[in-house]
Amino acid sequence: MPQVRIIAKNFMDMVAALPAMKLDKLYENAFICEAILRSLPPLAKKYVLQMLCIEVPVTAKSMEEWVLPDGVSKHRVAIDRLIQLRIFTETVDRKRETTYTLNPIFQTNLKKLLLYGVVLPREPMPSNVTVRLPSSEDLEAFALGQWECFLLQLINSSQIERPSNISSSMMKIFQRGLLSQRDKEAPRLTESGFQFLLMDTNAQLWYIIREYISNSEERGVDSADLISFLLELSFHVTGEAYNINTLTEVQKNTIKDLADLGLVKLQQGRKDSWFIPTRLATNLSVSLTDSSSRKQGFVVVETNFRLYAYSTSKLHCEILRLFSRVEYQLPNLIVGAITKESLYSAFENGITADQAILSFSYCTFIYFHFGSSLSRRFFNFQYAQINECTFHIISFLQQNAHPRVAERVPSVPENVTDQIRLWETDLNRVEMTPAYHYDGFPSRDLFEGASDFARGYNALLWEDPEDSKKMSLVVKAENHVHMREYLSRQRQ
Amino acid sequence: MASAPSKLYADDVSLLMVLLDTNPFFWSSSSLPFSVFLSHVLTFLNSILLLNQLNQVVVIATGYNSCSYIYDSSTSTNQGSDNGRMPARCVNLLQKLEEFVIKDEQLIKEGLREGIASSLLSGSLSMALCYIQRVFRSGPLHPQPRILCLQGSSDGSEQYVAIMNAIFSAQRSMVPIDSCYMGSSNSAFLQQASYITGGVYLKPQQPNGLFQYLSTVFATDLHSRAFLQLPKSLGVDFRASCFCHKKTIDMGYICSVCLSIFCKHHKKCSTCGSVFGQAQSDVNSTSNKKRKTPET
Repeated sequence: MPQVRIIAKNFMDMVAALPAMKLDKLYENAFICEAILRSLPPLAKKYVLQMLCIEVPVTAKSMEEWVLPDGVSKHRVAIDRLIQLRIFTETVDRKRETTYTLNPIFQTNLKKLLLYGVVLPREPMPSNVTVRLPSSEDLEAFALGQWECFLLQLINSSQIERPSNISSSMMKIFQRGLLSQRDKEAPRLTESGFQFLLMDTNAQLWYIIREYISNSEERGVDSADLISFLLELSFHVTGEAYNINTLTEVQKNTIKDLADLGLVKLQQGRKDSWFIPTRLATNLSVSLTDSSSRKQGFVVVETNFRLYAYSTSKLHCEILRLFSRVEYQLPNLIVGAITKESLYSAFENGITADQAILSFSYCTFIYFHFGSSLSRRFFNFQYAQINECTFHIISFLQQNAHPRVAERVPSVPENVTDQIRLWETDLNRVEMTPAYHYDGFPSRDLFEGASDFARGYNALLWEDPEDSKKMSLVVKAENHVHMREYLSRQRQ
Repeated sequence: MASAPSKLYADDVSLLMVLLDTNPFFWSSSSLPFSVFLSHVLTFLNSILLLNQLNQVVVIATGYNSCSYIYDSSTSTNQGSDNGRMPARCVNLLQKLEEFVIKDEQLIKEGLREGIASSLLSGSLSMALCYIQRVFRSGPLHPQPRILCLQGSSDGSEQYVAIMNAIFSAQRSMVPIDSCYMGSSNSAFLQQASYITGGVYLKPQQPNGLFQYLSTVFATDLHSRAFLQLPKSLGVDFRASCFCHKKTIDMGYICSVCLSIFCKHHKKCSTCGSVFGQAQSDVNSTSNKKRKTPET
C-alpha cells in the first residue's frame, strides 16, 4: 500500500497531537471550542452537551448504562476521542472506578457561548470606509480563481497564466508526496497526487492547510497559534471587511499566504487595508466534519461512455484528461470519452510514478533448489491495488454531476461505473504474494518436517499433495530466513 | 408504510421543529415561570445550533387561538445586535414571540372559547409537518427532521381527530415526535404521538432542571438514537375520543367503513355517511358494539 495516504478529514488528529499545554491554551478561545465540538462524532457531541452543566465527575458506569449493546463500539470511539482531545479527563479513583470530568476551560467557554454568544475579536469595518467591496459573486469568483491557479501551479501545469506569489520553497512543501521528481524527467503525479486532484475543494483545502500548519514550526510560527487563527477566521462573516491592523505581525504574514490560496481577499484603502474572508475561509470549520457544501456540478456522463463537461476551467480539463480521452474543447464545453486505455493510463499514473514510495510494484518468486544445484529464477510481476483510484474517479464524476443529471439516481450511469470497476479488476485478477519455492528434498521426513515448520509460522502457501512424488512446497518470502535456518539445521 | 426519504446528509444533521406552548392559562398556573422555561429552551436551541453548523431549528408557537412560526434558523441572519449579553437569535426570537402572544391575546377577546384552556396543538403539529414536507421536497440533501412538543396545557379533546391525523401523517413520513410535557398529569395525546412515531415522551420530574432533560434526552440526534437507551414510556393511554361529543371513552361504536368512533349508536355515520343497520341496542348484541382496540 502507498505510504503517503491522503486522508481529508484528520485535522482533529493534528489538534489532538498537540501537547497538553497548547491544547488547553487553544480552548481558551470559544470559537475553537465550537469548531472542535462540531468536529466530534455525533455521540461525543451528545456527551459533551449532557455533561455541560454537571460539575462533579460522572462515573463511566453510569455513562455506559445509556448505551445499547449495538452502540458499545461507537461509545468507545466517542469517549476515546474526547479523552484524546482532552475534553474529558479520565480519573481512576481508589475503588478502581473510572470517572470523567469535562475540561473546565472548555466547559466555561461552551456555557458562555450558549448563554451569551461571543463576539469576534474584530468588528467588520463600517461601509463608509470600505467603499468598493466586491459583490459575493465577485468574491466567489476570486476565491475559485485563486484556488485554481494555485492548483495548476501545484501540478506544474503548463497552462498557468499568472503565477501566484507563493514562494517556490512553500510550493515544494505542498508538492511533497503529490508529485515525484525524477532525474531528467518532468515531475509526475503520484497516486496520492492523483487522488488529491479528484477530491472536492474543501478536502483539498484541508490537505494544503494541514501541510501548511505542519510546516509552520520551520517558519518560526507556533502551530497552535496558527490553528487557532485559522479556526477563528472561519467564523468571520463572508464578504465583510476586517481591518488588517487588528492582526498580529505573524497573522499578517499568514494572511498574505491565505490570500494567495484564495481564502481571503486583501484590499487597500486610502488609509487602511483590510481583508475580506471568502467562502473558502468560512468553510474551513465546516469541512472539518463533512463536505456537504457542494458547488454546482458540470459533468454529464452518458451511457455510451461519453463525457460532457460544461466548464471553462483549465483545471477541470486537466483533471478530466487524467482519466479520459478529451476529444474536443469548445469555449465552455469539454467533450471526452472514458476508454479502457485512458483509464489504464490513469491507473498507471499513480503506480509507475514512484515505485519506491508505493512499494507494491514488484514481487519475486525465487525457486530455491535444495541440494547441489541451486538455481534461481526471478519473475517480475507488476500488480496494483487501485481500488482507491477507481473510487476517486467515480466519486469525482458523481460529485460533480451536472444539475440536470444530479437529480437522477444514480447520477452516473450504472453501466459506466460498473465498467470502470471491471476494467480496474482486470488489472488485478491475480493476487501476488512474494514466496519461495522449495523442492528436491532428499527424504520424505525432511519434506514433511519442513512443511509442518512452515505451517507453524502460518506461512505455508502450497504443498504437493500427499501422493505426489515431487515433494515441493511454496512458503511466504518473509519466512525464508526461518526456513533456511531450519533446513540447514536439519541437514547437519 | 411510505418509503423513507433518502438520507444523503451527514449522520447527525438534524432539523428540529420545536412547538412551544404559550398558552397563558397554563403558564399562569404553572410552578415553573414562563420566563425560566423560556431561558432553558433558548439555551437548548442554541446548543442544538452549536452542535452542527448544518443543524436547523424552527420554532412554532402554539397559542390558545392560533399558532405561528416565530423562528427559523435557516432564514434569520445571525448578525446585528450581538451585544455579548445575548445572542442575536434570542433577541429576534423573543421579539417575535412577544408579537405573537399579543396577537393571540387579542383573538381571545374576540371569541372566548368555552371549556378547558387547551392549546392549539393540532394546528402547530400540522404546520410543522407542512414545513417538513417542504424540506423533503427541496432535494435529496436535507437534514433529518424531528418534532419536539414542549407542551404544558392539557389535551383539548375537540382536537382529537386533527391531532391523530397529524400523528399518522408524521408516522408515514417517518418523523418522530418527541414530547416534553410540563403539565401536572400525563398527556394522552402526546403519549400516543411519541409512541406511534417512535419518539420520546418525557414528563420532567424536576422542571427546574429542564435544560438537563432537554440536553440529555431531546438533543440526541436520530443517528445516535440507534445506540442509546432513551426513556421509554411505561404506560400509554390509548383511549380514543368519540367523534360526536369529543369525550374520551373506553368502549364505543365504530363505523365499519371509515372507522369513526361514536359513544352511542347513530343511524348514519356523521363522517362518511354510511347508513348503519337497524339498531339492536335493545338486544345489546356484540355485533355492532365493539371494543376499540389500540391503534398502533
